[in-house]
Amino acid sequence: MKVEIQIDPELDEPVVVLRVPSPTEEAEALAQRLRGEAVPQPFTVYQEREALRVSRSMVLRFYAEDKGVSCQTGKGVFSVRQRLYELEEELAGTRFVRVSNSEIVNLDRVAGLDLTLAGTIKMTLEGGTVCWVSRRYVKKIRQALGL
Amino acid sequence: MEEFKKQWLPRALIGGAIGAALMLALVWVLDAMPWMSHIWHFRNPFAVWAEWLIDGSGWPGPSLPNLCLAILAGAEVGVATLPFADSGRELVARSLVHFAVMSLTVGLWAAIDFGVRELPFFLVPLALVYALVWLGRWVGWYAEVAAIREKLGLAPGPSLFHWKESLPYLGFAFLLCDVLPLALRVCDAPDVPVLVGLLLPYLLLPVGSFMSGLSLGRRHGFCPLYPLACGAFFLPTVFLLMNYTALPHCLMAAVPALAGNLAGAARHRMKRKKGADAP
Repeated sequence: MKVEIQIDPELDEPVVVLRVPSPTEEAEALAQRLRGEAVPQPFTVYQEREALRVSRSMVLRFYAEDKGVSCQTGKGVFSVRQRLYELEEELAGTRFVRVSNSEIVNLDRVAGLDLTLAGTIKMTLEGGTVCWVSRRYVKKIRQALGL
Repeated sequence: MEEFKKQWLPRALIGGAIGAALMLALVWVLDAMPWMSHIWHFRNPFAVWAEWLIDGSGWPGPSLPNLCLAILAGAEVGVATLPFADSGRELVARSLVHFAVMSLTVGLWAAIDFGVRELPFFLVPLALVYALVWLGRWVGWYAEVAAIREKLGLAPGPSLFHWKESLPYLGFAFLLCDVLPLALRVCDAPDVPVLVGLLLPYLLLPVGSFMSGLSLGRRHGFCPLYPLACGAFFLPTVFLLMNYTALPHCLMAAVPALAGNLAGAARHRMKRKKGADAP
């Protein structure tokens, strides 16, 4: 395997590109390891007017509510200035996946999955929070998990 | 409205055209086979009314109502190739509406060409097709969820249709449906078999299958295979101890088991909901 470092002053952050002749499990596993090695940026959340920094691992989900976006952690619910689609773009390729029109969930904080007769997936997060996964977004979950 | 124009309308039009083409082809093929004509031209009030519409027109193909119904059925099948909804109640509701409309179309066609008495021979297979399609999709969804659970490192979850959870209860079903009738037959009077003829089908079987279904439902939720198993287990008893006229007795085992299981599953669900809501 050849490893190269290319300097590009126009970049805001390091970008790692894996060039492979064909998609393999080894390549996917290496990509996952690199994603894990990258230092995740904490989120800036707001409680009333106070700004707080919350690490990604603490976040259970982001959800849209009352024309705003809230961030639910184990310690409480905070508001976020970004829109849901902005968060989805920022978190692409991580363990945060959009599961419905109004929710982005941290897959590392999923405690249970149940399937109803109508095909809806009930996702239970740590602490008992329940989300309903739309079938339209099941593909995204599978992509995030490498299925 | 935009979505309707973009997705539903083209499929309905294409499906309708295919339906018309198939009906035309079917009539021409059948007309080429004289031995089929006495079935195809079955006379009933609906057919007479239908033929009056085209009387004297010399139309060589299918009657106008048949053609219209074929176009409508084709359009309905075309629309069915789209997902009705993502999931949930909307999907169930739209699927039921589609089934109702399709049943009406097929029912009208069957009534016109074959008579109202023949309706069950068309509608029951149609219902089975819908049930099979739904079952196939659900099994696919189940496999997807199982794969996601495994990747997330979660506990495996219930087995498909709770078949593993139903296994311990099958022993009881076997005793109730096969061993008990045998024992009762031994004790029965030879001239008036009250135990096997009355007590078993009208008391022991319904109560036993209901209570076992209820217990299974309370523990594990809806387990559709158990009522089927109860009905199937009673089949040997019908043929060995009774005769074919006692086949409906299988329902005396299956239906109460289903009712009990549904009641138990409802209680199971309420209990889980209470547990989730509790602080």
